[in-house]
Amino acid sequence: MHISTDIWTWLAVILTFGIFSFLWKDNPFYKFCEHLFVGVSVGYTIALTWYNSVYPDLITPLFRQGKPLYIIPFVLGLFYFARFIPQVSWLVRIPMGFVLGWASGVAIPAFFQTNIIKQIQGTLLTPGIFSRWDVFLWALISFVGVICSVLYFFFSREHKGALKVAADTGIVFLMIGFGASFGYTVMARMSLLIGRFQFLLRDWLGVIK
Amino acid sequence: MRRSIPLAICLIMGIVMMVQFFVPHPISVGFYDLTTKWIRIVSAFALVLGVGSLALYHLDRLQRRRAGWVYSIVTLVALVVTAVIGLVWGVKPGSPLQEVIFKNMLVPLNASMFAILAFYMASAAYRAFRARTKEAALLLIAAFIVMLGMVPVGAAIWGKLPEVAEWILSVPNMAAKRAIVFGVALGAIATSLKVILGIERGWLGGGK
Amino acid sequence: MNIWERLLKIDRKIIFVVMAVLVLFPLLKPLGLGVSSGPRAKAVFDAVDAIPPGKTLLISVDFDPASMPELYPMLVALMRHAFARDVKVLLCGLWITGAGLADKAVTEIPPEYGKEYGKDVVYLGWKAGVDAVILGMGENIKNVFPVDYYGHPLDSLPMMQEVVRLRDIPFMVAISAGTPGFGDWLLYGQSRYGLRVGAGVTAVSAADAYPYLQTGQLTGLLAGMKGAAEYEVLLTRKGYSKAYMPAVAAMDSQSLAHLVILILVVLGNVAFFATRMKRR
Repeated sequence: MHISTDIWTWLAVILTFGIFSFLWKDNPFYKFCEHLFVGVSVGYTIALTWYNSVYPDLITPLFRQGKPLYIIPFVLGLFYFARFIPQVSWLVRIPMGFVLGWASGVAIPAFFQTNIIKQIQGTLLTPGIFSRWDVFLWALISFVGVICSVLYFFFSREHKGALKVAADTGIVFLMIGFGASFGYTVMARMSLLIGRFQFLLRDWLGVIK
Repeated sequence: MRRSIPLAICLIMGIVMMVQFFVPHPISVGFYDLTTKWIRIVSAFALVLGVGSLALYHLDRLQRRRAGWVYSIVTLVALVVTAVIGLVWGVKPGSPLQEVIFKNMLVPLNASMFAILAFYMASAAYRAFRARTKEAALLLIAAFIVMLGMVPVGAAIWGKLPEVAEWILSVPNMAAKRAIVFGVALGAIATSLKVILGIERGWLGGGK
Repeated sequence: MNIWERLLKIDRKIIFVVMAVLVLFPLLKPLGLGVSSGPRAKAVFDAVDAIPPGKTLLISVDFDPASMPELYPMLVALMRHAFARDVKVLLCGLWITGAGLADKAVTEIPPEYGKEYGKDVVYLGWKAGVDAVILGMGENIKNVFPVDYYGHPLDSLPMMQEVVRLRDIPFMVAISAGTPGFGDWLLYGQSRYGLRVGAGVTAVSAADAYPYLQTGQLTGLLAGMKGAAEYEVLLTRKGYSKAYMPAVAAMDSQSLAHLVILILVVLGNVAFFATRMKRR
């Protein structure tokens, strides 16, 4: 056992226990850590945004390289500050309109290609479908599953008759899907706990590698 | 004017970017390149909205001495100190922002916040996860198989368990998730179109 | 109150303690259950293995410290794999609080293989505007990142003379904890620039990646800490690394934790139905 003598490791340990103390009950130590976390995260984000985005992408080309066109995004960016000045707060809508219009415009073809066309292709065409019986069967089950699950979300008509049969079949697939997600979620949460324990045992107490 | 100008900008940008996708002409590519640069700059400024709202909320809580106002001091001081340290000493390796604040404050706080969820998940699994219906039972069985099949102990219990788990993930789970992907994609496309055409105006907020 | 009713009303702190002890125990005394690699992790491994030496692997660090135990070992393992094969590594990130994690890996891993910053590895850093970042990189990486994370102009880095745009990159792995993440790389990097994408994801979002695996949009998948452990095993088996394997070391705890959850669900259900039957 080699307990760490690094003051910063001890700080990390204290903050870890501060958050863990919530397991006992909500308490001032936890609340302190929680609020510290929010402040530190936002402060970190400000510094990173300046050094990674604003300085190299705007300050350098506009003020150091003298590229006048950059005045446009600069002014658009400054309009965000208007949000906090009631008289001109409507100006914030201009950069938002610019970003939303741009993002929506590029998203439509991308979503269509990636999540509609490719996914339909994948549902209808499975490579080597006739080469083995199991590949064929699983492709068929997948096809039925996709159709029935989509139909389950079709609420424009009452679920009765053939639609009810399909929707009920869709629920079976959806429940298995949610079960799989839950199983994986357990895995994820446990991993995070293990990671924290590894930190305490390794970096702080020095009892494991 | 206060609403029509932003709506017009949104409409023009949306249509131009959509059309641009199908037009590989140098002018089209040049415009795309230019606006892509601008968008990155403007997006960075959007941070102002988040920081401003957070600071205003905590300043207001502090001024009115609302419950927990002392903790607002913690948030505000941490925000200012971290930002100043970052801006003055930079973000390079060895800087106080990286070595002290990131590695020994942000990492343990953020990681621990999510780590404690494991305990609540265990408690919830015991108290709330009931096989009351056929559907719930199905969910439970699928979860058990994936949970065991994905870790070494599953293979130790039954050698075929990882394969069964993989089948669940690749066939019925894949089908269900694909249906959701379709739904999300159609929703995203419809919302994008509504934003571009000015039918969805929630982003304009209230006021004139 | 009978035994089942008492069992249903058990204090949750007892569950917490049981969970903590059973997760801690195998970390101190490993059970040696071993880890085998599945086809999805193998697909990512094979794709990295197929990159010709001298070419570049792009890794997008799209996670923050909250997902570090699951995803950081993947980042380290991928970098080790690339360096062992003399493949260059280009890193960037779409999550601002992940910037420091990538920096940690860039500082620690290349020296293990005698690799040099700027020649064998470059860390571009983080940028705002997810879709604009990826689309911009598709046209010209230098337009998006005129300087790297450390402030070096990209023109001054020898590695960046050969990597101009996304089409110059034979394969990328998006290590993502959610959105933005591999989905955005598929949406904008693959659909427009034909980028070949593999994913390393948190287990929470692993099940959602399967539709993209079936279509071949995703070359392979590393799912959670288990995915990282599988990659570590493959690395060691091929002789690419002899380093400590944190994800593999965690797998015994992971197994026990899953067993505990399973037992708790069964026990909770048995107690619930026994109590309900008695009431009827």
